[in-house]
Amino acid sequence: MKPRNVPRFALLLLQRLVPGSEPLAGDLLEEFARRPSRIWFWTQVLAGIAHARFVRDVEIRPLRLVGLQPADAIERSRRLRLRFPPVNLSASPVDGVGGLGLVILGALVTVVMPQGWWLLLGSALGGTAAGVLAIAIRRPAR
Amino acid sequence: MPRHLLTDFELMILLAVLRVGDEAYGVQIAKEIESTGGRRVLLGAAYAALDRLERNGLVSSAIGAPTPERGGRAKRFFQVTPRGLRAVRNTQQALVALWHDVPQLKERRP
Repeated sequence: MKPRNVPRFALLLLQRLVPGSEPLAGDLLEEFARRPSRIWFWTQVLAGIAHARFVRDVEIRPLRLVGLQPADAIERSRRLRLRFPPVNLSASPVDGVGGLGLVILGALVTVVMPQGWWLLLGSALGGTAAGVLAIAIRRPAR
Repeated sequence: MPRHLLTDFELMILLAVLRVGDEAYGVQIAKEIESTGGRRVLLGAAYAALDRLERNGLVSSAIGAPTPERGGRAKRFFQVTPRGLRAVRNTQQALVALWHDVPQLKERRP
């Protein structure tokens, strides 16, 4: 049983973007039943996504490994499972949609709502700008 | 072997897990830090720290049974490992050692 008025899109976003977030989603639902604030829920979800995807793991610091005894370093290296996002090799940016599906989708957009391409162009430019900004911010200090 | 020292948030998380005991899962840990430690905690941040601590072998976790009030989702219970307990003690010793003999922190007598 889910509490009423749960922001389902926020839950969906959390599940899609943060693998293994079921316990966190359950905790959020449990708390939402106690304090039904959509702003609180969205804040928690967005912070959860940001922490899982964008906050760098502070343990990826080579000097920490250098300072350890060899046996312990091997043990820690074994435990240090770096999380790399899966690489999509299907030439499609959308899971479950292949190249042909995208061509059909593109044709439909052109016929039904051609101005939708401006949205795509805007998103691509925005994404590129955000990427450049993220690289600039995360560049290590010299 | 060099001692493993914790960040302040990691230390708070480990202490909260120890204080809560067997029922230590996300909500309870966050509540314990908020009520006892006086620090607001985002659940996502707590889980990120707990994941990191588990990768380092300082906590272990187990999945409980799904419950209806959580939309059929299970709780993830955390426990501090012996290594985690050692890290808490080491951090405490380091902080206490740093605390001593700081003139600015000495109590002023009337």
